[in-house]
Amino acid sequence: MSRGFGLGRPGPRASAGVVWAVFRARLKIITRYKGAVFLESIIPVIFAGLPILLGAAVAGGEQNAANNFFAYTGTTGRTAADFRLYMLMGSNTFMVVTLMLWLIGYWVRREQETGTLEALYLTPAKRFHVLAGVTSYTFIRALIAFLVATVLGALLFNVNPLEGNFLAAVAYLVLGIPALWGISFFFGALVMRIKEANSVIQLLQWVLAFAMGVYFPVTVFPFLLRVVAMGFPPTLMNDAIRSTLLGIASIYGPWYVVLGLMLIAAWLVPLLGYEFFGWTERRVKRDQGVGQF
Amino acid sequence: MAEPIIRAEGLSKTFLSKERKKGEKKRKKEVHALKSVDLEVLDGEVFGLLGPNGAGKTTLIKILTTLLLPTGGSAWVNGYSITKEEDEVRASIGCMLMGDRGLYWKLTGRENLDYFGALYHVPRPDRAKQIEHLIALLKLDDFIDRTVETYSSGQRMIVAFAKSLVNDAPILFLDEPTVTMDVPTARELRRIVKDLNDHGKTILYTTHLMHEAEELCDRVAIIDHGEIIALGTPRELKDSLGHEDVVSLEGIFPDATVSRLRAVPGVLEVAVSAEDDGRSKLDVMVENSRAMLPRIIEAVTGQGSTVEEIRPKEITLEDVFVAKTGRTLAVDTRVVGEKAVRGRGG
Repeated sequence: MSRGFGLGRPGPRASAGVVWAVFRARLKIITRYKGAVFLESIIPVIFAGLPILLGAAVAGGEQNAANNFFAYTGTTGRTAADFRLYMLMGSNTFMVVTLMLWLIGYWVRREQETGTLEALYLTPAKRFHVLAGVTSYTFIRALIAFLVATVLGALLFNVNPLEGNFLAAVAYLVLGIPALWGISFFFGALVMRIKEANSVIQLLQWVLAFAMGVYFPVTVFPFLLRVVAMGFPPTLMNDAIRSTLLGIASIYGPWYVVLGLMLIAAWLVPLLGYEFFGWTERRVKRDQGVGQF
Repeated sequence: MAEPIIRAEGLSKTFLSKERKKGEKKRKKEVHALKSVDLEVLDGEVFGLLGPNGAGKTTLIKILTTLLLPTGGSAWVNGYSITKEEDEVRASIGCMLMGDRGLYWKLTGRENLDYFGALYHVPRPDRAKQIEHLIALLKLDDFIDRTVETYSSGQRMIVAFAKSLVNDAPILFLDEPTVTMDVPTARELRRIVKDLNDHGKTILYTTHLMHEAEELCDRVAIIDHGEIIALGTPRELKDSLGHEDVVSLEGIFPDATVSRLRAVPGVLEVAVSAEDDGRSKLDVMVENSRAMLPRIIEAVTGQGSTVEEIRPKEITLEDVFVAKTGRTLAVDTRVVGEKAVRGRGG
């Protein structure tokens, strides 16, 4: 008689197979919603347009808006194009951050509702490998959206991100992603526990936009709020990308400090988030089970 | 003799639920879903778990499949502890617990099988062979390459069943697998289950359909209010009623009729199941149906009763449940369990 194929303790090949299967399934599913990836790339362009137009209207011209903005915030950019690029990169990074949170949160919620979360927990696949598959997908999707939005924004706002160190900015984006994964694990665990994604996303989205300084450097905050905001990994990532592209000083200090902080965040935050996810999962299994929705 | 492949010792589960009564503060209430359950399922048998909604079947299955942690007791599946060797337990089982749920609607049936095969660590070449085998076995080729969102409920059920077989595990947990299937498909599925069992798979099968349990199961446990109240082969369970007979009545019966019936000497138990249009079915358990029939007719006629059908019938597993609990399996334990239990013995 057959005793099955399943292995409780899989080798590296089988584990890689789990990561690949989850990643591929997520990609297949999103591509079957026509135009979803392209449409979400337009959002940051619209979001960047709002403060640019408002700034021009309030200051009486775009250059005036740029002068006032850089003078008041103590940043070193000068031209109207710098001002536009500053807003575009803030919006782009904000989209990447919210995408990461949304995708994990909605993934957990959707799997709960359709019963596939319970089906996942019935398999011997390790939580780490399943989450690695999902986060690889969110990374690719966020990266595509970032690049498409940057190209679209550059064309629409007549800015050239390649004048700055674009590759270094993308490298900072990639380095900032693990910390976002960590936060998204916290978020996913919260959704698993409270069985609701929308209200949490709505709230966090705007807290996040405020705290990470989408349209301004967080140096304009009062001291205490500034310290809290600067300790938030998306703020660090946003600042690193913007300062690299615009060639302006980072609010965190020289580049090696920024890099060091990003490395620490990339290691520490996912570790804490993963532990929190595991802790919540055990609690849910003790209380009512992962299948209850 | 076959060895136990699933073993539970003193398994219990207590949930804390919040109770909110009008005008009162929220209170936490303990719900004992399982009460010290001992169970052994032997290697190679089809083991049936019977009971009404809310009896504890799903809780027991969820604990044995590692989806829930027990409050007390221990259990082993395929020799592995459900709390200490969860991955080994999961690798040893195939499950269909959620009916037609648990599939990705934007993927095709084949993509779903491949996906879950990978999550069970089935090597790619074996996976492809196993999927082809399942497509042929379950006759899925007409729709397996369409996305699940286009399937009928019965087609989703059969793909969900295929998913439980994708890792070819030695133990299968099937929770009401035929519930939304049409009659021929359900019959075919039962045939396949029997065939899988003939090839050595151990199957834990929950159902509320007595004929399914009688047709498929080597042994049956009846569970009610979180406790196993009867266990044995279907024959043993039916024989345990001794010389009791059942007289089945259908029609419209006022509440007083049941009380009058219970008061008739020689009536052992009366179980009531209500239908939507005000009609009821009464199963009256008696020592000798032939001798008791006139007295039963006398007790139910008049005073607003309308008898549409009356017939003695063979003892079934449902009658075993009725004899043990005073209720039919169609009755939801959570809703009217207390009332039905109070009604026992008049």
